[in-house]
Amino acid sequence: MRLRRYVLLRVLQFVPVTLVVIVLNFLLIHLAPGDISLLLAGENADPAYLALVREKFGLDKPFLEQLWRYLVQVASGDLGLSFRSRQPVLGEILEKVPATLLLVGTSLLLSVAIGTWVGTWIARRPGSTLDSAVSFGAVALFSVPVFWFGLMLILLFTVEIPILPAMGMTSLDGPRSGIGYVLDIARHMVLPVAALMTVSVGQYVRLARTSVADVLGEHFITTVRAIGFPERTVLQHYALRNALLPVVTVLGLQLGLVLTGAVLTETVFSWPGLGRMIYEAILARDTPVIMGAFIVMSLTVALASLVTDLVYAALDPRVAL
Amino acid sequence: MYPRILALAVAGAFAMAGTAFAQGQPATLVVPQTGEPKTLSPNMASDSHAFGPGSNVYSHLVALDWGIVKGTSAYGDLAESWETSADGKAVTFKLHKNVKFHDGKPVTAHDVKFTYDTIIRKKYPSFVVLKNVREIAVPDDHTVVLHLTDPETGFVPMLAQVSTWTAKIYPKHLWEGQDGFEGGPHLNAPIGSGPLKFVRWEKGGVVELEANPDYFRGKPKLDRLIYRPMADINVARAEFDAGRLHYLPYDYAPPLAEVPALRRNQNIKVVFTPSHFSRDIQLNLARPPLDKREVRQAIAHAIDRDAMNKLAFNGLWTPAIHASVESQGEWINRSAKFPEFDKVKAEKLLDEAGLPRKADGWRFAVTVTPPNFVDCKAMMEVLVQQLRQVGINAKLEQFDQATWFRRQFEKNFDISCYFTRYGPDPDAFREHFATGGGRNFQSFSNKELDEIAAKASVSRDKAERKKIYDRIQEIVVSELPYINLFNEQKTTLLRAGWDGFMIEESGFDKSLTWFGFYAVKPPGR
Repeated sequence: MRLRRYVLLRVLQFVPVTLVVIVLNFLLIHLAPGDISLLLAGENADPAYLALVREKFGLDKPFLEQLWRYLVQVASGDLGLSFRSRQPVLGEILEKVPATLLLVGTSLLLSVAIGTWVGTWIARRPGSTLDSAVSFGAVALFSVPVFWFGLMLILLFTVEIPILPAMGMTSLDGPRSGIGYVLDIARHMVLPVAALMTVSVGQYVRLARTSVADVLGEHFITTVRAIGFPERTVLQHYALRNALLPVVTVLGLQLGLVLTGAVLTETVFSWPGLGRMIYEAILARDTPVIMGAFIVMSLTVALASLVTDLVYAALDPRVAL
Repeated sequence: MYPRILALAVAGAFAMAGTAFAQGQPATLVVPQTGEPKTLSPNMASDSHAFGPGSNVYSHLVALDWGIVKGTSAYGDLAESWETSADGKAVTFKLHKNVKFHDGKPVTAHDVKFTYDTIIRKKYPSFVVLKNVREIAVPDDHTVVLHLTDPETGFVPMLAQVSTWTAKIYPKHLWEGQDGFEGGPHLNAPIGSGPLKFVRWEKGGVVELEANPDYFRGKPKLDRLIYRPMADINVARAEFDAGRLHYLPYDYAPPLAEVPALRRNQNIKVVFTPSHFSRDIQLNLARPPLDKREVRQAIAHAIDRDAMNKLAFNGLWTPAIHASVESQGEWINRSAKFPEFDKVKAEKLLDEAGLPRKADGWRFAVTVTPPNFVDCKAMMEVLVQQLRQVGINAKLEQFDQATWFRRQFEKNFDISCYFTRYGPDPDAFREHFATGGGRNFQSFSNKELDEIAAKASVSRDKAERKKIYDRIQEIVVSELPYINLFNEQKTTLLRAGWDGFMIEESGFDKSLTWFGFYAVKPPGR
């Protein structure tokens, strides 16, 4: 019962959060200099035609009126039509969600799993050569710009040693169903997932290493060891569980960003996801698409933080909801 | 590190021989695009990534392509011929018979009328040109008459130009139930009458087209055309170097510094294509001291085009000293030249204009604003240095494209790099230099020019028009609302063995639009 009330309350909080996000984004987009109608009207528009375009898209209305109209429209569940395709924004966004979820989700899960495992493993002997080497490597990895690293992967694995595809999600003449289709997509995922992971895995290594090392210094671990539990049980059952909280926090934050996609990675690897869509929409000042994407993202972040809090409570009985 | 790997990749490409397509094996061309189309309905919005698929699936009434640089201002696509009435207020088009849409239905004059009527009613982008159309008559199935409100000599070339982007002929029988061209079953599954047929669009991925065996000009040599989004220029270049792309469009142009090395590679064709645009600078006449003619003359004298060419373009572009570009051929007035490079004269003119060097060495300050084009940026960096040498305190300021455009329209600039248009019809001068012209951002106003340009716009006497446009060029090089610097030039890379692309002479006048692949010949075909 208490849980249900808690969840309900948190969901209600989404409303003001979303409202603030909309107003803020609307403000920011309209503060940006430049004229959308010039981009919409095309190559050889004259001033008379520009005025027509402004009228057609409601760009000639005062700012507050535009904002009010937009809010009313969003309240009725309509994110509007894309300026460029004249198609519903919600449909355009939902169409891109699976590709992004697949790419960013996979790399996130792999990063957490591998990062935590490596971090826990080196935490056993803090200060050893191995620890220093891995920690140094981890810092180095998350300092690498992802688009550069992606490009290097492409040059190495598609040009020098051409064994993997560099772009898109499927092969031109590949299978369109069955296990062959799944394998084709998996092959296309290798490089972008590797690029994304490389950057985020270091973070989890550092995080897991620090918090596991901290926990290992606590009295209860000494007690557990004194009882004579094997080291593996000490690490996995006692140390790791207690050390996981910060990892879950960071994972929760990043989970919220799953839908923002990976703009740079998706661009380099021509991945058909949300990130690339937002990038193109921003370049073209397709305001309804940008706004729609921001709303969806902010809801995901809010949702992810709710899930994180619930997981927290499950992991640590001391946390009361 | 990166250039070295790239060099390795280029070396690797040397080893790859141009592969010919055997008979029976489909000849496929993959065309990279920097973005994905928003829809496959090119008529309803200016969507630059939909122009490619649209131009090959649909036909046009009249078309033009890069053949414009050799003097073709328009040629018939669906139109077999056309004739303008004596008063210049009606253009009658005779259509090819036996042209069929991809669903087998014939293309008739009713489809043309339906398409243009819809564009005019919905004020879609090509309304810019079609707004002069008062009424469209269809006397028979293969004749369409466009009645114009005002006589306009450049109407057909302008219609041909706008058709390359957004005035494709849609099938009436499939679209009449729709409100405009914005929805319905054929929005993203187009049925046209062009040389290629739509196969599939994998959202986020490729758009696939295949040869139309029943095309009225004959089946294209290319069997399959694939548009593939590749946002990253370096990735597309790596794919080209690895031999997986046969065509690297000019949107992905390599740095000109690499061109000599690329030219030594026998497996690669480097194609330079001129255009009917120049690269120039506009001077804002509403801003002192640029309102003084002597100051503009001094600026023109301060510019060394050859040095600029070497520094910005590795010496590979063609400087422009006339108020036109080479592609305009007979329309160029070769005796009207911009002031030649002469620093001493420039300084003298500035002194006489009452702008001596002050104690700090500067005469006055100007801001130079390039649009977001690689070539303009490279040129303007050099221009700033050249102006500073004669005591003009020039500085560079950059904006994103939308902001830059708005500032131009608001006439909020001192000196801007610009892309003046001279074709498809020389009436283009009016847009740039007539008082109140749509692209006269310089606030230039000259009574004589206004009068004669208006006259030339409706004249059908070519000799008379030539005389007028010669005079206009004289006025422009003497009054200097702008200073022409270079002929615009595109750089495209092709694999050896491929031929007939729109940007090559072998593709001129038969590519059907800037984006058409109809003339392409794969190796071995």
